[in-house]
Amino acid sequence: MPKQLCRRLLLFLMLLGLCLLVPDFAVADSHQPGVETAADPTGHDPFDPFAEDEADLQIADPIEPLNRGIFWFNDKLYFYLLKPVARVYRVIPEPARISVDNLFSNLASPVRFANSLLQFKVKKAGSELGRFIVNTTVGILGLFDPGKSWLGWEKSKEDFGQTLGFYGAGNGFYLVLPVFGPSSLRDGIGRVGDYFVDPVSSPYYFQLNNWEQYALGGLETVNSLSLDKDTYEGIKKDALDPYLFLRNSYIQYRQDRISK
Amino acid sequence: MFRLSANLTAIVLVALLVIPAVVWPSAKAIDDVQATVDDVLAVLRDTAAPLDQRRAKIRNLVRSRFDFELMAKSTLGRQWKNASKQEQETFIELYSKLLEATYVGRIEAYTNEKITYGSEKTKGDKALVETHIVTATTDIPIDYKLVQDSAEWKVYDVVIEGVSLIRNFRSSYGSIVEKEGFSGLFARMENKVQELEK
Repeated sequence: MPKQLCRRLLLFLMLLGLCLLVPDFAVADSHQPGVETAADPTGHDPFDPFAEDEADLQIADPIEPLNRGIFWFNDKLYFYLLKPVARVYRVIPEPARISVDNLFSNLASPVRFANSLLQFKVKKAGSELGRFIVNTTVGILGLFDPGKSWLGWEKSKEDFGQTLGFYGAGNGFYLVLPVFGPSSLRDGIGRVGDYFVDPVSSPYYFQLNNWEQYALGGLETVNSLSLDKDTYEGIKKDALDPYLFLRNSYIQYRQDRISK
Repeated sequence: MFRLSANLTAIVLVALLVIPAVVWPSAKAIDDVQATVDDVLAVLRDTAAPLDQRRAKIRNLVRSRFDFELMAKSTLGRQWKNASKQEQETFIELYSKLLEATYVGRIEAYTNEKITYGSEKTKGDKALVETHIVTATTDIPIDYKLVQDSAEWKVYDVVIEGVSLIRNFRSSYGSIVEKEGFSGLFARMENKVQELEK
């Protein structure tokens, strides 16, 4: 066990070091505000007192053609496979699907707990631990969420990409991952870190084989899509260029999460 | 004499009623947001009314609460100054149509979501109002940013789960203008408006 822990710690430090070495690539997306005044190099918006500096919300996209290719693939995967399956899957009553969602979410508790701790967010780590104990027991292995509905403990949505961001790692550049979708170099590395902590994928806990992992991953995806209200369809319908819309949304969303 | 005092009384009364509205324009941004959101929800829930009527109502509500011109300028950012007068006007017009059409297009997507209100922050003549869309499975934070415009507050940005709509548009519209120029952007916007209004 100490050996395993050492290996994990070492891996964490290596990933962290790697990420800190990653410079933020020259920004492709340098549209700054400045309606009246000259553009400020920091991207500070003189009009909007509530806005963060925009410089943080830009990302380089040096492999845009490749990213767009993977985006196209994911789009087809969504419309021709995942969505139709999710539609059929909706024959299962919604409360049951919500429970499946809770179950997966509870299983992933160690990821949120570890990343809260790594960022010294003690309160979040505490409520994650509390949620895991209460939901696993009273909530019947996590099928229900009494941690939130009775005790008001919110889920803390932390992951390793955010931990790396917390320690100052920039996005690197934009990355669209097959199946998983929008990401960045930092968050892609973050996924690898979480892979070792998430009980479903981790080689340390249940040691599921590849096919068992794919099956569980597929179920989780289809289940959560069945609960989603056509978010992606809405984006495709409204956006002038869905690729650009998602790229910027992803970066803004992640930046907001890191700041919380 | 009697007439004069009656007139004076009337003037004082009118002044008392009118002046506060001028000096202290609509106290709180959150009230203006709530009023518009309530009106929009009423239209969304009124499924018995003809679709054309509901669309027109939503369009008017959105138009009266959003400052499309300011949003359009802010969306183009630095590009605004590179645009000719003609291009600026065309952009504002298309942009307003597009935002309206987007909002109106959401009528069919509505299924009994509830809106809750959080706090309001004010900085000078700007305000940020926190709201949440709550369903059985999700709780999506939506912040409205408003600017005081004489008696009313007008929305200049909407922030959904930390994602600012204007910043998003600024980034994607900027990329399109860089590659395809204003004519390319306008063509895309026109197509989108037609698609949405179908």
